[in-house]
Amino acid sequence: MSPRPDDPDGALMVRVEARDADALAALYDRHAGRLLALARRILGEGGEAEEVLQEVFLFAWRAAASYDPTRGNVLTWLLIATRSRAIDRLRTRRGTSRPEARRLDEMPVEPAAAGDPEAASADRQWEAVCRSAVRELPDDQRTVMELAYFEGLTQQEIADRTSTPLGTVKTRARLGLMKLRDRLRPYMRSGSRVS
Amino acid sequence: MSHNERYEELAAALALGSPLGAERAELERHLAEGCAVCEELLADGRRAASALAAEMPEVAPPPELRARILSSLGPSRAPEAPARPSSGFAARILAAAAALLLVAVGLDDAKMRREREDLRSRSADLAVRLQTAETALAERTLRARVLESDDVQMMLLGGAGPQPGARGRVFWSPTARRGVLVAASLAELPPDRQYELWVFIEGKPVAAGVFDAEASGRALFESTPFPNPKAQNFAVTVEPRGGVASPTGPIVLVGAPA
Repeated sequence: MSPRPDDPDGALMVRVEARDADALAALYDRHAGRLLALARRILGEGGEAEEVLQEVFLFAWRAAASYDPTRGNVLTWLLIATRSRAIDRLRTRRGTSRPEARRLDEMPVEPAAAGDPEAASADRQWEAVCRSAVRELPDDQRTVMELAYFEGLTQQEIADRTSTPLGTVKTRARLGLMKLRDRLRPYMRSGSRVS
Repeated sequence: MSHNERYEELAAALALGSPLGAERAELERHLAEGCAVCEELLADGRRAASALAAEMPEVAPPPELRARILSSLGPSRAPEAPARPSSGFAARILAAAAALLLVAVGLDDAKMRREREDLRSRSADLAVRLQTAETALAERTLRARVLESDDVQMMLLGGAGPQPGARGRVFWSPTARRGVLVAASLAELPPDRQYELWVFIEGKPVAAGVFDAEASGRALFESTPFPNPKAQNFAVTVEPRGGVASPTGPIVLVGAPA
């Protein structure tokens, strides 16, 4: 692993990999609120979201070496691990096992580098950029994207749910994602800063 | 198949988290052919999709959850210890330099402490980088020995048992008596398990090394030396971490010799 020196999360991950529990506690303090919010958005208020959070931090503890800083920042790595575990549970609950291997979803990816000694404020800025980018999406595209992201629905399931032709769902997902990507692109390049 | 909008749709669906079912193999083939547009859409799309999670307000986790998680971690090292530098001359120099830096900032006010923390993580980082570079170089040398042999052979491995979607190929050389396994779509294993490669010689499986898959499900692995050059087939099983002398776990990849 080779985090940028100005990446506090990356430095914490190096320590986590060296089995430093204080570093994991620091990661928890920085990100647990955001990750739990995602797990609850997917699974609801019950205890399952907390179980997912526990699994994610155990995963970070045991698989710290699999985090590749060249392919994304730590928060997004944790968000993807959280989403994937929460969606697995959701699909189990629905009685549909998910045909995707989990690992492909966990390829680390990242938004902007929070490369700022006041990392918390950089995180806030990243969130603000993401929020405004999401809000600029047309409603129909955003709906398709959220049904995929938060509910793990196949595109056919989204088509059924929204009474929309499958082809339209595919187009909306593609166009919406490209729009979001283009809007966030200045903040996604390795080494770029939010500020 | 050259790039077209349909592949973009598949890449976008996957990046957003919609399972693809049967179409997934099609997208993977397309990506394996080296389509840079789809590869980039998938990677950047995944980053972009995480923006959807920023929309929700953060919540305060229940206070006892933190303690529960931290107490479930198992053994940890003293926080003073940075990542272990690898052996070798350069690593020793690096470690000595890091130690000097630590001494140089050993004075104890808050600012110094912060700088020391920073240096500590940087020295750990440098040690890890060096270790990674040394390992990569050693691996490349071995791979080159196999792949550049005049007698290099290749065998396709198909998914089996619990992992029908896994796939791989082994390049091996009878003179080098080694093989290089390239695999994809391997599943995540519990921490106490590892993949083990077997080479079939005179009809019997012989252990050829253990490996972990990357987070992406991919693996690139250089086998241990074969006991003799007459490899007939290859297989991968799931075994207890560290490997076993003869296979006990399920076969997840196996070749189909001609």
